[in-house]
Amino acid sequence: MDFWFNDFWIILCGSLVAMSCAILGCFLILRKMAMVGDAISHSVLPGIVVAFFLSGSLSSWTVMLGATSLGLLTTFIIEMLNKRGGVQADAAIGLTFTFLFAVGVILIAANSGNLHIDQDCVLHGEIAYIPLDIGTTIAGIEIPRQAIILSVLFFVISTLVYLGYRGLFLTTFDPEYADAIGVKTTTWHYLLMAAVSLATVVSFESVGAILVVAFLIVPAATAYLLTDHFPSMLLLSCVVGILSSFTGYYLAVYLDGSIAGAISTMMGVFFSLAFLFAPKHGYLAKRLST
Amino acid sequence: MIKRVDNSILEVHDLTVSYHNKPVLWNIDFDLPSGIVAGIIGPNGAGKSTLIKSIMGLISPDQGYTKIFGQPLNEIRSRVSYVPQRESVDWDFPASAMDVVLMGRYSERGFWGRYNDEDRKIAKQSLEQVDMLPFANRQISQLSGGQQQRVFLARALAQQADIYFMDEPFAGVDAATEASILNLLREMSHSGKTMIVVHHDLQSAYDYFDWMILLNRRLIAVGPKADVFTDELIQETYGGNLSILATLGNIMQQKDYPK
Repeated sequence: MDFWFNDFWIILCGSLVAMSCAILGCFLILRKMAMVGDAISHSVLPGIVVAFFLSGSLSSWTVMLGATSLGLLTTFIIEMLNKRGGVQADAAIGLTFTFLFAVGVILIAANSGNLHIDQDCVLHGEIAYIPLDIGTTIAGIEIPRQAIILSVLFFVISTLVYLGYRGLFLTTFDPEYADAIGVKTTTWHYLLMAAVSLATVVSFESVGAILVVAFLIVPAATAYLLTDHFPSMLLLSCVVGILSSFTGYYLAVYLDGSIAGAISTMMGVFFSLAFLFAPKHGYLAKRLST
Repeated sequence: MIKRVDNSILEVHDLTVSYHNKPVLWNIDFDLPSGIVAGIIGPNGAGKSTLIKSIMGLISPDQGYTKIFGQPLNEIRSRVSYVPQRESVDWDFPASAMDVVLMGRYSERGFWGRYNDEDRKIAKQSLEQVDMLPFANRQISQLSGGQQQRVFLARALAQQADIYFMDEPFAGVDAATEASILNLLREMSHSGKTMIVVHHDLQSAYDYFDWMILLNRRLIAVGPKADVFTDELIQETYGGNLSILATLGNIMQQKDYPK
């Protein structure tokens, strides 16, 4: 296969995951729920393992369904512990996802003989292998399976956010008012959480849980520093995600290191730049204005 | 003293509410006519915010129910509007004044709908009504506290509801905002709308409201202010709080207050 195509597919897939996660991340950080994304991305593990065990494949609808329901279960448990049990929100998140992730790790370890997944693959994924797994061939161009799956994911997430923009915006800014005028705040909450679970599960095979968490939080946090306009924040977070995938990939090639690691590093670099030099909310701008 | 009204638009029946098994409101039972500005008055911790939140169904009561326009709340949600306490949201949110006011049009457009030109027109009119039109495109974080409060009022106005619940709209606002809110309350009540306002300042209460709901965990009195703003009832509401009773004495001397 053409070497240039390898680069292209890896960067494309990285960017698709980045955009899907960044869009959701914007809502998560404004809802002060960034760590819920982290929690979901870890606690889907037992769902993946069980579904994998039942279906024997990592890329089936069963796995997607199993993991997404585990994601929703996670949010549900967090809400229950917090609202009904009086456990603080951050403690509830910590309790829930460490427990579920541990269950997942045990399930993997106990079945390592007959399962072709391990902790390493779940945590780090393997973005470099994307071009090797061809899904279909159109006009002589071999299109990797992941590129197709991740395009569908991006389409689903962006359509959801486009159609549900007003509801998500309202329930994120002022859930109490939304409740008062009869908006189904809980429905929007679980819709968003289902989307986060879906994005996490679909992405984890290609990029791994850790990069997913970084994509959920860092581009959105960077964009938040750069603008006061929510649609611009959505757009900028995607730009940061794409730039990180692009520069991260070539950094990894240059260093001959992990692609996921390099992409995360580049996100950190972009965030630091925004933190220091953002026009209004940056550190320097604030220092100079006071 | 609980004044009963015929043709009430709000009925609260025997409402009891508790937080973590501690009762906050006991057997609240009253009704209100339309076209009034009613103040909910009582000391800190009297359950004033809890009362309006339970009426709107944001807190589920242990017992009791409310009816608005003779119907259960869920049937007429769109005719009920709410102005939450200003501190209840994060004003650093990336939104403009216009974005916030448009939220008032949400119910009109439903789940997947979009805001149209009519919504934008109504939102602009609402901003105009609170003298905030010049700030329509301003980021909400750059508005003063009083201006933020007026944006919240404009959002409720944009909803074009018939009954409005407001949680401490006068708390910490500048004189211009205070005047603007008062003006608005009067105008709205003249056009037949009902405003129910949580208010903690006894000194200004007599000037602001037509009706008063005196509350301290239980309902002390409800009625036109002339009937309700009396020595014993205020004392009963504020208990043995002497400093408040002293200031109250001063107010009573200054005003031609009904003995």
